[in-house]
Amino acid sequence: MSRWLHQRADDVCSLRCSVTALCVVVALAGKVAAFADAPGRPDVPPLPEPATVKQQDLPLLHPQIDALVDASLAASGVSAAEPASDGEFVRRIYLDLIGRVPGVDETREFLVDAAANTDARTQLIDRLLDSPEHVRRMQYVLDEMIMERRGGANVPDAEWKAWLRQSVADNRSWSWIANEILSADGAETEKRPPAKFYLDRDFASEVVTRDVGRVFLGVDLECAQCHDHPNIETYLQRHYYGINAFLSRSYVFTDAKSKKKMLGEKAEGEVKFTSVFTSEEGGTAPRLLDLPPIADPEGTAGEYVAKPDKTTRGVPKYSRRQQLAEQMTAPENLDFRRNIANRIWALMAGRGLVEPLDVRHAGNPAAHPELLSLLAERLRDSGDDLRWLMREIALSNAYQRSSSPIEVEASDAADAQVVQASLDEAAETSDEGSSEPAAVADFQAARIKPLSPEQLAWSVMQVLGVTDRTLAAKQAELAKKDGDAGAKKADDPVWQEQMLGEALKSNVDQFAAQFAGQGGQKTGFDATANQALFLINGSLVQGWLEPISGSLTERLLKIEDNGQLADELFLCVLGRQPNAEEAAEFQSVLGGADDRTQAVKDLIWALLASAEFRFNH
Amino acid sequence: MKARYACGSSEHLMARRQFLGTLAGGAVVGGLGALTNPAVAGQIQSNQMRVVVLYLAGGVSQLESWDPKPKTDTGGPFRAIPTSVPGVHISELLPKTATHMDKLALVRSINTKNNDHGKGSYQMQYGRSQMPGTEYPHLGAVCARALERADNPLPGHIRVPGGSRGSDAAYLGPQYASVGMNGKPPANSERAGSLTEAADKLRNDFRRQANDRFSLQRRTASTDLYTQSYEQALQLMERREVFDVTKESEADMDRYGRFDLGQHCLMARRLLENGIPFVQVQHSNYDTHNENFNFHFEQLGEFDQAFSTLVGDLHDRGMLETTLVVVMSEFGRTPKINARYGRDHWGSAWSVCLGGAKIQPGAVIGKTNENGTKVIDREVEHGDLFHTYLSAVGLDSGGAFDIGGREQPMADPSHAPITELLT
Repeated sequence: MSRWLHQRADDVCSLRCSVTALCVVVALAGKVAAFADAPGRPDVPPLPEPATVKQQDLPLLHPQIDALVDASLAASGVSAAEPASDGEFVRRIYLDLIGRVPGVDETREFLVDAAANTDARTQLIDRLLDSPEHVRRMQYVLDEMIMERRGGANVPDAEWKAWLRQSVADNRSWSWIANEILSADGAETEKRPPAKFYLDRDFASEVVTRDVGRVFLGVDLECAQCHDHPNIETYLQRHYYGINAFLSRSYVFTDAKSKKKMLGEKAEGEVKFTSVFTSEEGGTAPRLLDLPPIADPEGTAGEYVAKPDKTTRGVPKYSRRQQLAEQMTAPENLDFRRNIANRIWALMAGRGLVEPLDVRHAGNPAAHPELLSLLAERLRDSGDDLRWLMREIALSNAYQRSSSPIEVEASDAADAQVVQASLDEAAETSDEGSSEPAAVADFQAARIKPLSPEQLAWSVMQVLGVTDRTLAAKQAELAKKDGDAGAKKADDPVWQEQMLGEALKSNVDQFAAQFAGQGGQKTGFDATANQALFLINGSLVQGWLEPISGSLTERLLKIEDNGQLADELFLCVLGRQPNAEEAAEFQSVLGGADDRTQAVKDLIWALLASAEFRFNH
Repeated sequence: MKARYACGSSEHLMARRQFLGTLAGGAVVGGLGALTNPAVAGQIQSNQMRVVVLYLAGGVSQLESWDPKPKTDTGGPFRAIPTSVPGVHISELLPKTATHMDKLALVRSINTKNNDHGKGSYQMQYGRSQMPGTEYPHLGAVCARALERADNPLPGHIRVPGGSRGSDAAYLGPQYASVGMNGKPPANSERAGSLTEAADKLRNDFRRQANDRFSLQRRTASTDLYTQSYEQALQLMERREVFDVTKESEADMDRYGRFDLGQHCLMARRLLENGIPFVQVQHSNYDTHNENFNFHFEQLGEFDQAFSTLVGDLHDRGMLETTLVVVMSEFGRTPKINARYGRDHWGSAWSVCLGGAKIQPGAVIGKTNENGTKVIDREVEHGDLFHTYLSAVGLDSGGAFDIGGREQPMADPSHAPITELLT
């Protein structure tokens, strides 16, 4: 029963360890937990059920966000950038909430509405959060957050994504989602999808222990596996084994009939560890970071619902893995909320309050600790409602600022130099790979965010008419097949979103293959020559530029006046009017072109391939 | 491509600033003169270095190659022959290579304590033992990142043969993952047939103009990276023939040998000449549990011709001083000859051949006993070799990459280079 893991400490540790002693993990059978500091929850009100929390009953969060942000800007003597223009705002909010740029009609509609209606932004935010496309956006976001693009076939991708979609569509709370994932065993078919987190990490002990910490708590305890972390004072070996102890009794069981892998669990076994630095021995009951350890209930040791053997999946009377799910999502676990609040903030603001997202500790505190705590506490009070959190962030002035920190007087050469110098400085300090602590500058103006592979794919398809053309064709098909009933169904946004998701999936997959990083660890924004080649010469995008029916090229070619054409081109691709200089340049190309079709294609492509399109700003 | 700003340790942060400063001013980075910090100059200097690995998959026998033990119970039927280094003998299966030993070196005292293909190939190519839950970059990814050159748009980590992109760069990111090449140019590198050169120029001019305007108000390191990636792509389109081995002469194809390994080594030469920092060529079929001697006779015949031609060419072209050449496997083969005239897996006492760059020409490191069953002098393992490779191309193998705020050592910090092997 004992399992020995011999490994040179320095192989494990990514830091400069010079110790070469053994790191020993002992799983001892048959000993009931007898660790001194007994559990006992502090007095914390129970978590409200998500369904019982009414958004409108919650105090508004966004004024509090702004109060904190404005105070820190004022304290540093920094003035905030101007509010984003309506044009800037509409592109940004579509990308952040539904994962694509607005169509040209949607842009126009909003610009008209915003000119007359002071609530236009709030109404748009609510409409987007309610739309089926928000479900798709969050499906991608959560999938990347939880599975980190690692693939895996134990739970098919389609089933996992369908489960994520349903969870978002039902506006399930983050604690519900985490609870389903962390307690999953994959045994029942209908409850199998959330087991993907464990099963497609092959339930490798080191991997799942580490990733429970990273994904759900925002701490990377890898180096604390063999000793207290040498550089991070607050990452202790008992933290690693505290999480490990929830999982150490579980194991992969292959069902003889279905050949499917699932998790079984034993009713006994403790974790002990030895520091390779100090040779101190320790043991721990399951515990989450510095929350109290959880002792097994009396008399549950060795007690089974189903006793494990070769053909039977072990099911203990008391499951520590189930406990992990409960403890993780318990209201007193604020680290669980800090982690997700930080990740949602990063999604909306382009940079986490803590960076890297999974290295939160005393030596790497949040850029604004008070703000992070506020978000975490209020998220808990909302019943861990992510949609509510995104809404509140979107409503804040901090989110709705312009991404241009400086007003440029282009005519003034001296000023332009000053501006360039400060932008150079900004370019330097904004390097995603740098470890410099986030500063007040983070709150001064909206950050420029690269589009995710999926945002890029859906935006290119939106702009070039692929999405609308596909929708129209499918709607016609349905109306032809099912008559009036078909036509009615074809108007249903839920049907439309699902149908488009399926019809265009292979395109999105091609973008993801090109633009997504591999593996679990993200390294910030990256742009490679291969990706550029995909957009420069790849047959997918080149094909979409052809003037076929329903394409942007075809639509633009119908406009005879060059000035109007240039205006429409900019509005369609970039969501804004051209300035005078741009309009003049485009008109002169169109006026002098021998081949008008080719000229229109080239101009569309030039804007599509520009940084202005590639980033959310 | 990602940050050529090298790793983020304090002196390299300096380099990044200087680089950006120079680029931002609109000036061309004009060689080393622009960079006054000697540490920075050193880093750039090392960017001229390259690495080529010949990986003999399955585990080449050290006894039939670099550490023959003729006339012993383990020696097998082949003789040892003298080489261009007095006193150093290698197997008679490598007669052409023997004439180049004065440019190469041997490490004959490797003990990796492992007899498993997967683990051994990980050890040797990643410089560490594999651990669940941790991922390290391949030697090629480390070299591609550390030896990357700002003026070269070509991918830095190439595997021959192969067609796909590997996932072997771990935290360095996919841009340093291996790209498999089969002697053809990369995907999407040819201008679409319908697009004239003039039209392509026009649309790219407009793209640049749009970027210039955008960057007036919203410029970040990320937007810079993005706009640069297009310029790299366009250069790559211009240089796509680099990957087209059919552009080499018939005479060279003959000299390297009209078999896969020969053509792959010719391809490697072509890639190295074009400044690609890391190329790995694979030769298979060395897992000789049966008929070890017949197989080695056959395989090493090909290897000897291709490898010796490559080393000779690199030397003749003055490239060997800046190109590290390594011949490795996942392990060696047992001294004991089994009942099927085979040799089995053996990680306890085996050899690697290397040369070029800062490797001491003609050196022989370490020793096995009389019949090759044990290392008796200067035992080394994969971690030491990995450090040595990096040091040989002028890198500080004790240094670290800064990956999103995390320090990631270039090589296993508990090991060090074999200093006596380095010039």
